[in-house]
Amino acid sequence: MQETGWLDGVPGAANAPGVTGGAGVVRAPRASLGVQLRRSLAVALPPLVALVVLVIAWEFWVRERQIAEYLVPRPSAVFEALRDDPGRFATAARESLAAALGGLLVASLGAFALAVVMAHSRLLERALYPPALMIKVTPIVAVYPLFAIWFGFGIGPKIAIAALIAFFPMLVNALIGLRAVDPAALDFMRALDASRWRVLWSLRLPSALPYVFAALRISVPLSLIGAVVAEFLSGSSGMGQLILIANGDFDTPVLFGAIVVLSTLGVILTALVAYIERRVLFWHASMTGS
Amino acid sequence: MTPSPTVDRSSPAGATPEGAAAAIAIRGVEHTYAAESGTVSALSAVDLTIEAGQFVSIVGPSGCGKTTLLRAVAGLLEPSGGRIEVFGASPRLARRDRALGLVTQDPGLLPWRSVQANVQLAIDLAGSSAASPAAGAAHGWLERVGIDRYAGLYPGELSGGMKQRVALARALAVGPRLLLMDEPFGALDELSREAMRLELLALWERERMSVLFVTHSIREALLLSDRVVVMSGSPGRILEDVAVALPRPRSDALLSAPAFLEAEQHIRALLRAGA
Repeated sequence: MQETGWLDGVPGAANAPGVTGGAGVVRAPRASLGVQLRRSLAVALPPLVALVVLVIAWEFWVRERQIAEYLVPRPSAVFEALRDDPGRFATAARESLAAALGGLLVASLGAFALAVVMAHSRLLERALYPPALMIKVTPIVAVYPLFAIWFGFGIGPKIAIAALIAFFPMLVNALIGLRAVDPAALDFMRALDASRWRVLWSLRLPSALPYVFAALRISVPLSLIGAVVAEFLSGSSGMGQLILIANGDFDTPVLFGAIVVLSTLGVILTALVAYIERRVLFWHASMTGS
Repeated sequence: MTPSPTVDRSSPAGATPEGAAAAIAIRGVEHTYAAESGTVSALSAVDLTIEAGQFVSIVGPSGCGKTTLLRAVAGLLEPSGGRIEVFGASPRLARRDRALGLVTQDPGLLPWRSVQANVQLAIDLAGSSAASPAAGAAHGWLERVGIDRYAGLYPGELSGGMKQRVALARALAVGPRLLLMDEPFGALDELSREAMRLELLALWERERMSVLFVTHSIREALLLSDRVVVMSGSPGRILEDVAVALPRPRSDALLSAPAFLEAEQHIRALLRAGA
């Protein structure tokens, strides 16, 4: 028996999850690739089946009723539109994506920096929160002409609009997260005379991460909306412009194709955030199952 | 002795003209909280001296101000009145000297750091000025509290008792001259609690640092301490400073010794009368 001292007669010590009793410590093995694959299939399969059934029903319904294509196109017509000119969709998607991600980056960094400042000063929080709220409640369409004057007609105003719409969720969440610090951990660090910077870096920033990811899950689709809206208003490039042109041509299959592309983009970005979140927040209660 | 909130910072930490300073000197400390119905007096005219190398417990009912007192000693709270010195200097200076180790009821571990990295953080925080301890220092402390086998695990994977051991290792790793413990075993189940008590007892009898230990448990206080300070609430004040004349080294066999039971009865009677 190697176990002596502190571990003797302590219930739970050997029962901790991922720990086996006896001489050594063994982590619970990661699920094998096959098991992981089966699990993700179990999650993905039902909605996929539902989608396929829906598309097939739609196809039959449109053919049966002989509905005009400019009203509701057949799914196969939408597919053909996507297949006939994939480059057009890809270019537009890339432009919109660049604006959305650019805006998201600007908003996230700016909002987080502001949250750090506000988390350290109640006065600054009281002073800056109402203006931030004002920005949030202002309809972004109203601001676009101004942005066009300031940033020209390229990607600039698109990034600005995407950033504006993604800013507030990050600010609020980061602020709450930076304050949601375990008081016992804070006491411990203060008892060791840790500097403000050290507390910020070693305690507040990691504590804020779960809130940052919650904000990203909101901000990512919002930034995409911001980019497309800006493209509508400018009509210069991206998915917004593609939709405008298709609309002018009564080219409904392309309109639907644009919707498919945009929703696919949204799904991929959201899944990406969720993937990174799982990796980074392995320690957080929301990730450990129970 | 003058009750003054300011602390003389001219004397270097750990040294006074008279020679070795007391670990803790509390003089006329009072503290009031602002509440909706006026102010609440948490501490009133508290005087207490803890000599270096002593193990002193504070027992008392909830809300008697024992945690407030401990936080004031740690420099986490500025009392409204009176004077506190830790090794002859202000708590703030003692903190700057890395003379303090703190263990609270909530272990306060960082869940994104492994057990070893949690202890290492304390060493990093404390060691930037001093000669940096060997890389194995964190592991050495984990060994001493019997959890080196779990060094690579994360706090979320540990039981309450093991988390509290990590917190203890973390507090001890900076080599504090004064260990402040606020209900460290309060959230543990009875069996873990007993095991932790005996381990702390053995550890302290080896290391002999000064300890201020806050607890609800009279038996825990008696088993561990040289002195048991009995407090009463509203406002928090000291009822009696009970010297524990039990031989060391101690073991849990002491729990049924007549002298132990007598002391327990005495303190219980004090608390009942004070309530």
